[in-house]
Amino acid sequence: MKPAPFQYHAANSAADAAQLLGDLGDDAKLISGGQSLAPMLAMRLVRFDHLVDISRVADLRGIDRNNGTLIVQAATPDVLVERSDVVVASVPLLTKVTPLIGHFQIRNRGTIGGSIAHADPAAEYPAVAVALGAQMECLSVRGTRMIDAADYFVGIWSTSMESDELLKAIHFPVWSGRVGFGVAEFARRHGDFAIAGAVAAVELDSGNVISRCSIAMFGVSGQPERALSAESHLLGSSVGEISPEEVGRLAIADVESPSDDANMPATYRMSVAASTVATAWTNALTEAHHG
Amino acid sequence: MADTTVGIPTVSVTVNGVLRRGTPEPRKTLADFLRDDCELTGTHLGCEHGVCGACTIFMDGEAVRSCLVFAVQAEGADITTIEGLSAPDGTLSVVQKAMNEAHGLQCGFCTPGFVVSITALLRDNPDPSDEEIRQGLSGNLCRCTGYQGIIKAVKIAAGQSVDANGKAH
Amino acid sequence: MTDTLAAPTANTGGARFVGQRVQRREDLRLVTGHGRYTDDVVVPGMLHAAFLRSDIARGVINSIDVSAARQLDGVVAVFTGADFNAEIREHWVDFEGPGGDASPFRVLADTDVRFAGDPIAVVIATSRYIAEDACELIEVDIEPSTPVIGADAALAADAPVVHAGRADNIAGAIPAAADPVLDEIFANAAHVITETIDQNRYLCVPMETRGIVSQWDPFNQELTVHISTQGPHGVRAYIGRALGIPENRIRVIMKDVGGGFGQKMFMIPDEVAVVLAGKRLGRPVKWIEDRRENLMSGLHARDDRMTVSFAVDDTFHILGVKCDLIEDVGSFNAAGSSSIGFVGLLFPGPYKIPRVGFSAKAVFTNTCGRCSYRGPWMMETAAREQMMDIAARRLGIDPLEFRRINVITSAELPYTTAAGLVYDAVSIDGSLEQAVSMVGYEAFRAEQAAARAQGRFIGLGLGLYVEPSGIAMGNMSSEAAIVSISVNGDVTAVMSSGSHGQSLETTVAQVVADRLGVDFERVTVVQGDTAATPFGPGTGGSRSAVILNGAASQASGDVRTKMLEIAAHVLEAATDDLELEAGNISVRGTPSKGISVTEVARIAYLRPQELPPGMSLGLESHARYTPNAPFTFSNSCHACVVEVDAVTGGVKVLRFIVSEDCGVMINPDVVEGQIAGGVVQGIGGVLYEEMAYDMSGNPMNTTFVDYLLPTATEVPIIEYGHIETRSSTNPGGFKGMGEGGAIGSPPAVINAVADASPTSSTGRSSSRCRRRTSAPPSTLLADPAE
Repeated sequence: MKPAPFQYHAANSAADAAQLLGDLGDDAKLISGGQSLAPMLAMRLVRFDHLVDISRVADLRGIDRNNGTLIVQAATPDVLVERSDVVVASVPLLTKVTPLIGHFQIRNRGTIGGSIAHADPAAEYPAVAVALGAQMECLSVRGTRMIDAADYFVGIWSTSMESDELLKAIHFPVWSGRVGFGVAEFARRHGDFAIAGAVAAVELDSGNVISRCSIAMFGVSGQPERALSAESHLLGSSVGEISPEEVGRLAIADVESPSDDANMPATYRMSVAASTVATAWTNALTEAHHG
Repeated sequence: MADTTVGIPTVSVTVNGVLRRGTPEPRKTLADFLRDDCELTGTHLGCEHGVCGACTIFMDGEAVRSCLVFAVQAEGADITTIEGLSAPDGTLSVVQKAMNEAHGLQCGFCTPGFVVSITALLRDNPDPSDEEIRQGLSGNLCRCTGYQGIIKAVKIAAGQSVDANGKAH
Repeated sequence: MTDTLAAPTANTGGARFVGQRVQRREDLRLVTGHGRYTDDVVVPGMLHAAFLRSDIARGVINSIDVSAARQLDGVVAVFTGADFNAEIREHWVDFEGPGGDASPFRVLADTDVRFAGDPIAVVIATSRYIAEDACELIEVDIEPSTPVIGADAALAADAPVVHAGRADNIAGAIPAAADPVLDEIFANAAHVITETIDQNRYLCVPMETRGIVSQWDPFNQELTVHISTQGPHGVRAYIGRALGIPENRIRVIMKDVGGGFGQKMFMIPDEVAVVLAGKRLGRPVKWIEDRRENLMSGLHARDDRMTVSFAVDDTFHILGVKCDLIEDVGSFNAAGSSSIGFVGLLFPGPYKIPRVGFSAKAVFTNTCGRCSYRGPWMMETAAREQMMDIAARRLGIDPLEFRRINVITSAELPYTTAAGLVYDAVSIDGSLEQAVSMVGYEAFRAEQAAARAQGRFIGLGLGLYVEPSGIAMGNMSSEAAIVSISVNGDVTAVMSSGSHGQSLETTVAQVVADRLGVDFERVTVVQGDTAATPFGPGTGGSRSAVILNGAASQASGDVRTKMLEIAAHVLEAATDDLELEAGNISVRGTPSKGISVTEVARIAYLRPQELPPGMSLGLESHARYTPNAPFTFSNSCHACVVEVDAVTGGVKVLRFIVSEDCGVMINPDVVEGQIAGGVVQGIGGVLYEEMAYDMSGNPMNTTFVDYLLPTATEVPIIEYGHIETRSSTNPGGFKGMGEGGAIGSPPAVINAVADASPTSSTGRSSSRCRRRTSAPPSTLLADPAE
């Protein structure tokens, strides 16, 4: 199980990487931690003539808080997100989901940008990005553009980035006030991609009315699914007015094309999803109350 | 300007304190580089797709799967393999000794990866709970022991007292 | 918890080491990364092999074009079936013998392909990377046809045959025998309960895959083979016959082996191809099976279906049983991998079942062949123990009560089963009671009821069985040991079999040290090299504790006797008056009068004039040992407690208890390690692992991303209870237990899941849970009939 040959290019900077992608065209692929790409290369499920390595590019690593935004550079390893004081103070949902990603050896090497750009529908980071309405900073020789998370994930392992673009950084809005966050997922084993999972964020006003909320599911279809109608029911309601189970039911009703196969029928996956939404929502509410 | 080197880049890595230079093909995994070029065969390949954990090594201080890193990506890295965890005279590390005491291995093929992972786990969390131990071990597969002796070994290495069934007191 | 029902020691020397948790001496090299597995073997000039495999399950090969592959830089050769298949002179393994119904065989697919993974060509190149590149350049034109997938398809009236030239897909059969007595029992029984039980296909999955380095030396006409195997002598004999090389020109070396579990009992065609390629080229060739190959084509296991009927009387005694078994053995199954004979023989297991009717078929399908995975006959326990629960619920009694009514008790020993097996030194009811006591059965029932009231579903399952260890039949009848004490008083035990995880370097040394009255540290065990060791069949059938240690004990006993005779002569005492302990021989009651083992050894080799008149020189013995019975029965009871999540169907194993009677324990750590490993393989087989094929014959679980092994987060602490009933088949009183963990655990887990089900108390049992693990876990609870 050995990869096919490729030419290797170690990028020196984000701009350098963008230049390489521009020069090399469709035959090039970015690699950072390689935790998803390297196995696919080893099994020869994919092949590229050129790999552009951004794993040691300094300006693609780092975590910064800029007023109401947390900016995480794309090639920042998961482990740094997991351990970051800035992250837990700004976007604690990232801190909560990171331990659910694979195993610690994977998180030591895997990167947040790699996870998001790989766009596995069962991955946690894309769901957080969608739930919080993150902005994807994409770089190419043509310049920089921001893509809203809602427009970024377009299907299984598929994003709206052009082939010459690289994900430079992810800009997460910081929620403040009486806020709470929750995550829940069900996987066959600890560390596996989830059969279904959900993240939830909530802000309460002083009267325990839900003033802001967001719920996203993962593993349920080709991309992270925002539960918009559930959110609209919740918005303006008082805590406890809508039961967590009802939130789960409302959330899965928004999933237009649930994943469905012989091993995992959609009905089953959706019932698991509803249950994880209920748990994530409950956890978020609890945290907002006590936070 | 981009390094658009076509052909074979040179790689310099420090492995168990020794500087190693080589010119591996870009597609050569770090695991194969360590095994073939550095002749350090304690790093085992159990799946070559990043699941079994037998090839786990320390790279710049963190435990990673060496089958998922290309050797060229390790340029400048500081690497410790299983061979670097015991003393040259064979004196075992605390974790290695605990694995022996706890019957934490049978065929031994997965063992180097477990020893590295446990070493990293206890460095970052010297007194882990039962759940933290299990989660910390879940990135390594063993087919012989049912993990019983390995869990017990972590507790012994952490200085926790255990009974015959591996339960902490 | 240990109950000792018999004297722990006998006149086999002291018991300083046997019975102790002696720490393994294998570990120093293994925990430091200095083991030597097959992939660690590097030979100058070594080439690397990779196989092109069929991605089609069944089809005719129209053409194979290897020209482009041959031209790739770094490729030394490409071989196909046309190059190799006619080279095989005799194809049979010691286990089966010549003739008979030998399994279908070819080195490489030539006219047709018969499963997805079937090797078509082998590339030999300067690196594995290049060899894999070249595989992609081979052009194969296959005309696909509808494959035979699943036993039903194999047995269909119009089924195509998997193996051209055969009349049908029957690999083996035991026809139902007319039994009017049994028919009468069923006709008159108060209750007849019938159910069909499926077992999914799951695999051995040793952490080290297969591997071989084959070196042909044309100038000495010698073959040296390093191989990851369970038995180097079987490899040597097989290659000798297959390639026409005299055995004494073949050296097979098995260094450290990363697990086998039955998968590595015999060579597979791929390994034979590597030997042939190396011989053809006159260069060393290495092949390391990769994980995808191991899962796809490295031999599979389980995959059975059994229909069982119980005839039960008004007082819940089982009067008779009828069983019909269908095994899917895939295409190229390993020798002996069909267990239909053993399943019928062992079905009554731990119960008084007066009469058993058994029929079976093993069928070929266009899937990877079957091998003998740890307890290859375990469908008898898997099906029987599920039936015990199903029948009990239908009868309206608790499954434990039903077992108590029918279990063979110690008072009834010796007991002869319906199949004619005789149990003597077993404690079947003892292990059942120890397990239920440890799990707290009655308290659990109360806890379960309380949990149900809260909407939580917990369940308890039992798995009771008798394990036929130390199987001594045919080529497996014996093991041998050469035990010597050399001039400095150090002991070497050269053994006919070796360890691939079973800790034999430690346990054999414990037995030898005790027998010779020397320190454990003075004994070294040599294994795994046909140039040094006497013939042995390799590991299998839980044999090593009984048969290998029998040989060690016998050879050591000879040396001990001679040592005492020399000492008696020197000390001018009777041998009966001598004591041998801790490396010293002294006259009982006169400790000052003594001689060290080292001194005796020096006399034996260096000072023949001091030997008793007429005594031969040296302190060494070569003994070949056969136990005095074909089986050494051990027994065990597993008790499993699970919780099932009503929404996700996720199953959490909360407790797992094993009460084991493997006779005198040589090393409790090793016993418990073997139990734990087997139990977790069983938990995996039920809850996580499955090798599934789609209807086109594509294997669906060929990576560790989709073939799910349990990890440390999926298993509970395993609790052990020990009973030590001395075996009478061998001098140490040992019994084997290497397979039992994997035999008793699957039904215990399944029964627990079924017991947790909300419908289990209603009688219409949901314990007919389907073991389709790739389906959502929740379907474990769904009775398809409901």
